[in-house]
Amino acid sequence: MMFSALKPILQILIFPAGLFLVASGIVVEWIDRKLVARLQNRVGPRWFQILADIVKLLAKEEILPSAANPWLFIGLPMIALAGCMTAALYVPLMGLSPAYSFSGDLIVTLYLLSLLTLSKGLAGWNTSSRFSLVGATRGLTQLFAYEAPFLLALLGPAIVAGSWQIDVIMQRNSSSWIILTQPIGFLVALIGLMGKLELPPFDAPEAETEIVAGAMTDYSGRGLAIFNIAKSVEFVIGLTLVAAFYLGGLNNPLEYLLKTFFILVVLIGLQTLLTRLRIDQTVGLWWRYGAILVLIQWMILIIWKESILL
Amino acid sequence: MNAQWMPIFEKLKTWARVNSPWAIHFNSGSCNGCDIEILATLTPRYDLERFGVKLQGSPRHADILICTGPVTRQARERLLRTYEQMPEPRFVVAVGSCAISSGAFQNCYNVIGSIDEVIPVDAYIPGCPPRPEAIIDGLVKLLQHVSSSSKMEIAK
Amino acid sequence: MNTIAALEQAEKLLTPWTKEAVRPEPNRLDVTIAGLDLYACAAALKQEPWGYLSAITGLDLGLEVGELETLYHFCEGAAITTLRVRLLRQGGSVPTLYPLFPVASFFERELSEMFGIEVTGTPDPSRLFIPDDWPVNVYPLLKDFDPKVVQPRQADSPRSFQPQDGQTFYVPIGPQHPALKEPGHFEFTVDGEVIVGARMRLGYVHRGIEKATESQNWVQNLYLLERVCGICSHTHATAYVLGVERLAGVETPPRAQAIRELIAGLERIHSHLLWLGVSAHEAGFDTLFMYSWRDRETVMDILENLSGNRVNYSANIIGGVKFDIYPEHAKTIRQGLDFLEERIRHYLDIVTTDILFLQRTRGIGRISREEAAHLGLLGPTARASGVVRDVRIEAPYGPYSHYPVSIVTSEAGDLEARFVVRLKELFVTINTIRVIMDNLPESDLSVRVPRRIPAGETISRVEAPRGEVFYFIKSDGTDRPERIKVRTPSLCNWTAVLSKAVGSQLADAPLLIAGMDPCFSCNDRMITVKRLDGK
Repeated sequence: MMFSALKPILQILIFPAGLFLVASGIVVEWIDRKLVARLQNRVGPRWFQILADIVKLLAKEEILPSAANPWLFIGLPMIALAGCMTAALYVPLMGLSPAYSFSGDLIVTLYLLSLLTLSKGLAGWNTSSRFSLVGATRGLTQLFAYEAPFLLALLGPAIVAGSWQIDVIMQRNSSSWIILTQPIGFLVALIGLMGKLELPPFDAPEAETEIVAGAMTDYSGRGLAIFNIAKSVEFVIGLTLVAAFYLGGLNNPLEYLLKTFFILVVLIGLQTLLTRLRIDQTVGLWWRYGAILVLIQWMILIIWKESILL
Repeated sequence: MNAQWMPIFEKLKTWARVNSPWAIHFNSGSCNGCDIEILATLTPRYDLERFGVKLQGSPRHADILICTGPVTRQARERLLRTYEQMPEPRFVVAVGSCAISSGAFQNCYNVIGSIDEVIPVDAYIPGCPPRPEAIIDGLVKLLQHVSSSSKMEIAK
Repeated sequence: MNTIAALEQAEKLLTPWTKEAVRPEPNRLDVTIAGLDLYACAAALKQEPWGYLSAITGLDLGLEVGELETLYHFCEGAAITTLRVRLLRQGGSVPTLYPLFPVASFFERELSEMFGIEVTGTPDPSRLFIPDDWPVNVYPLLKDFDPKVVQPRQADSPRSFQPQDGQTFYVPIGPQHPALKEPGHFEFTVDGEVIVGARMRLGYVHRGIEKATESQNWVQNLYLLERVCGICSHTHATAYVLGVERLAGVETPPRAQAIRELIAGLERIHSHLLWLGVSAHEAGFDTLFMYSWRDRETVMDILENLSGNRVNYSANIIGGVKFDIYPEHAKTIRQGLDFLEERIRHYLDIVTTDILFLQRTRGIGRISREEAAHLGLLGPTARASGVVRDVRIEAPYGPYSHYPVSIVTSEAGDLEARFVVRLKELFVTINTIRVIMDNLPESDLSVRVPRRIPAGETISRVEAPRGEVFYFIKSDGTDRPERIKVRTPSLCNWTAVLSKAVGSQLADAPLLIAGMDPCFSCNDRMITVKRLDGK
């Protein structure tokens, strides 16, 4: 009985959220930087690099801009991280069943993941530096662009499974690899993930050579560290979702590792190959091609489903 | 119990700072020679990312300020402001003969002087310009110094 | 039209206002005119059209003479016509040439702040290079300038310009900004993501080199001028020594000349590859940045092998070069060139076919040929708009008559064209280097030059990777120069950036700036407010 009360706490703090999530975020970020470096013909960071980065940031002096609202300044990174951590509870991390599951949790999870972008946007506005403002605006603009197609792309497998519950979707699709039946959807989901994570070519909100560091320009120390952790955590969850839906479910840890790694490598490859797009080009791309593609996918799906039911 | 934990924390902090030195670059009047060698350290042949150095855009994200050039009148204030925006702990590296002593521009009317006349400098890397290997060497020496001097502090 | 004919034509055009016409050198015509006639003369030259305004030099003729002189240099091919105007030391003024030659505004601002000459009708009288906290009425290039008068201020210097009214939102870029490897200050007034106004403040790298040359001897100045810019240091050195050798009346040995051109070619390779990487980085294409700089190491190694330093290779001395090219070198150079040629081909391919990269460069920042010629653009930026402007071809200097290069132009005029032109230029350069190595003449490496250079004036024009570098050198017969004027190409190309920035997206700004391959340290040894609503 004691254990059942303790269980949620352990789940939040250690597994699947909490420490485990942060650790997997660190690993994913390291693989990202290392592979990018290797593809660029460099050696890249050492294995403990990300850990050192985080500890250093946590130990650094935090400068509070005078024009910023201190509550927002300190609170927003935490909200971002909390959102991602909560989302992790509904996702099959490590190939094990999600800690919690209820009908419709797919939508909830996706909204929780958007908290990161929203927090960054608000944080950018809050610090009132010019670069932050431009970065925040871009981030939010991008949110409007890719969010809908991304959601629709994830709903493809949901339609096939006939449910809005992540666990159920995964179980019902574990025999078939949706990537084969809905390749367009997979493509949109993959690119959508890149948009969500602001990976190049969609990193206009953080375009270093244009707006210094975007919304994060005036953050230092703890706030920056937490935002960075939140971003890697979102990476992990995003990978898990796409792998679970399109690559035939995640039934055990080994499958989990292999499948998420595969998607990670694909994303890194794309990241290195492509130039950053201007924000208007990003939005244009999404609303023109992204949305249309996913709608085509849906049409095919609906027609097929109807024909089967008939 | 706190007293027991403090040295370990300090060691951890120092380790992190030494291994994750994010840098920002500022040119206060240089001819560019040093700057292109600094940029070269990021490229595949020299790859500063091995040492954890990432070039940042915002001074608030950086631990090390890499400065080049003699300080011109116009650039002086910006140099100061950039330095002030950096949160502690921060270090300054002066790269090139001009940064150390105005170099070839000692007689020029618009040059105020070397970098250490404006902000405190922790490491000097001489050369005109110094090779990328020299720059890396200088940075590593700075990091070693930081690491060892902190160890001495903790031991006290 | 050959040089002599061009000069004769110019002389004829200027007859109505000529007070005195002299041919100090075979390719130069000096016409002394009155200040009031300046505009009419310039208009006559522009009307023909005869040449473009390349530089404006200010001279202080000394306290005994009590006069200043302004020289307006117009270049047509190899011919240079200089309009000379004498002015009083204090209170002198000249009319602006801005309506005819927009680039004149920069030159005139420099003239005013250095000599105290008033330029009437100028659109922008603000300081160009001199810092904001410089005392008023102190003009550095006058002979009686006393550095002690200018003490560095301890307090904050005033802002270079006041922020615009509260309604507009502006994004400052620089002087500390990841996009700029050198300090310069741009302020873009934006409406959403569209730039509606652009202002620029240079002068962060202004060191006062021209003044310093007057107090050092000819040899010391070589080392100073090499460091005007680390990327094109050989070009500056070459321009300088060519001028000094001409004044001294010495003939540089052929082998030295050939080696000079060879090093210049290698410098062009390293500079364009550097630029390619930096521009790619600005566009967000880091992979290209890494690869191109990795390959650039090949040419850096070659330069180091030859000269002992990767940057500032210091190949020139007055009278020749310092080092020779040995057969072992030749082999390394050839291997390096073969490798680079293949890699550059690959980059040209990327730049012209990568879809996303083209999205950032094709059709952006287009400047038409007429506009480019009118704005006075130089170098690859001009050639990308179809303007045939290359000193190595129009006015071959030194070895370029023996080892000529061919011109590379493009009609497109947009950012993509600038990439293409620079990369294609490298093919030409590589071939030229091979030709030179196959035909290196045997001779001495240098010739003795006297310590005191005979009195006289000369003009040296050399093509740097960024465009034409213009040197005006005046000697008074001693071991120190009386005046050295350096005009670098980046100064002329700024107009391109600003005119194109307005109306573009903010995200294009770094690429537009990078597209002209700016070199702040070149031009600073120094503001346009242009808004869409016409203010």
